[in-house]
Amino acid sequence: MAKLMSLLWGAGSPPCWRVMITLEEKKLQGYKRKLLSFEKGEHKSQEVLEVNPRGQLPAFKHGDIILNESCATCLYLENQFKSQGIRLIPDSAEDQAATYQRMMEGLALTDKLNSVIYYDCSVPEEERHDSAVKRNKEALTAELKLWEGYLENVAAGSYLAGAFSLADVIVFPSIACAFRFGLSVGRYPKLAKYYSLLKNRASIKTTWPPHWVASPQGYDILKDL
Amino acid sequence: MAKAMTLLWATGSCPCWRVMIALEEKSLQGYNQKLLSFDKMEHKSQEVLDINPRGQIPTFKHGDNVINESYAACFYLESQFKTQGTKLIPDGPAEQALVYQRMFEGLTFYEKLTAVIYYEWYVPEGERHESALKRNKEALVTELKLWESYLQKLGSGSYLAGPSFTLADVVVFPTVGTLFRFGLSPERYPKLGEYYNLLKERPSVKASWPPHWLENPKGQDTLKDI
Repeated sequence: MAKLMSLLWGAGSPPCWRVMITLEEKKLQGYKRKLLSFEKGEHKSQEVLEVNPRGQLPAFKHGDIILNESCATCLYLENQFKSQGIRLIPDSAEDQAATYQRMMEGLALTDKLNSVIYYDCSVPEEERHDSAVKRNKEALTAELKLWEGYLENVAAGSYLAGAFSLADVIVFPSIACAFRFGLSVGRYPKLAKYYSLLKNRASIKTTWPPHWVASPQGYDILKDL
Repeated sequence: MAKAMTLLWATGSCPCWRVMIALEEKSLQGYNQKLLSFDKMEHKSQEVLDINPRGQIPTFKHGDNVINESYAACFYLESQFKTQGTKLIPDGPAEQALVYQRMFEGLTFYEKLTAVIYYEWYVPEGERHESALKRNKEALVTELKLWESYLQKLGSGSYLAGPSFTLADVVVFPTVGTLFRFGLSPERYPKLGEYYNLLKERPSVKASWPPHWLENPKGQDTLKDI
């Protein structure tokens, strides 16, 4: 099964990480993979464009099937391999509602994080404004406080939607990025607890961004949030 | 079933429209609903904040289950009511993959649209730049050409993910509807025009068509030159 799968990915990219965590959770280790460099512009190479005309990573193939949106890939893997590995979408209406809800809210979290961390990459110099940076930081702070509230009762086995689920697969990489970029453990204790509980989960440990292992010290863009 | 459901919505909101189409397709007519006004800032009212701390609509409740993300509500409805109404997610791997892929690309499509038509709503006056709006329009054109090519490959009369109507159409059609409402040229984008004409006749789409579009059939022409 996994032998028919291949993934083009970039280190530290939450969308790539989501797919890799899912592959581990669904016991699909052994898939082919190739690490590409964003810095060298390899995500815009012919190799990627042939799989993903958008020139974005992850780019995932299962036989002739192509999936280039991380959430789409995760949903596909969970549904096609429902009976193997961990169940990532619960059956009960209540738990399912919570899983889908937090999953999709996770995309808002990623966007708000990107709007702060990658502001200079995405906004040309002559269009940048301190007021925009300030507003983006305020929006991210409000967003993080929401998640701090969602994780009020976080404990081992009790995550975003109860037991570990697709919500955690989608959201954890962005939480990990936030701490990598200097988010204060003291100011966000529930998020910090969530982070420390899950960072040792097998699927997450195995797929931890290699350059984060190599250089544990991150950045401090978010330290004052 | 539908009696235990409540939707707070606004006319012309794509996320709200997605959920309404899904409810129709799953034969869940008869749900409780309340039309709110963005102009009167009713999306920030206590009524909404009690259900959705983000102060956004749609807000959707099924009994005690609260789902405020349109895609989440659509996935939930398809999963919980799999055996009634239209089957919105196919089982076959290739078909299913394409539905999910187009659904999530649909989020990008919607973002690129709103970056143009709602530019002034999102960006405070002191931060607006002609160069930014120009870039946003170029990005939307690139995105439109991609969707034209997707429809071109599938052939006339097809839906977004193949020969059948799926959840991809539920979540993306509202964006297409909005494009033409804001003046997109069907001559320049014939495949999207064909798709629009096909879907606008579908009962679930007709039943949930934004009421103010019916009251004022003439839309805007923001996109006529792109």
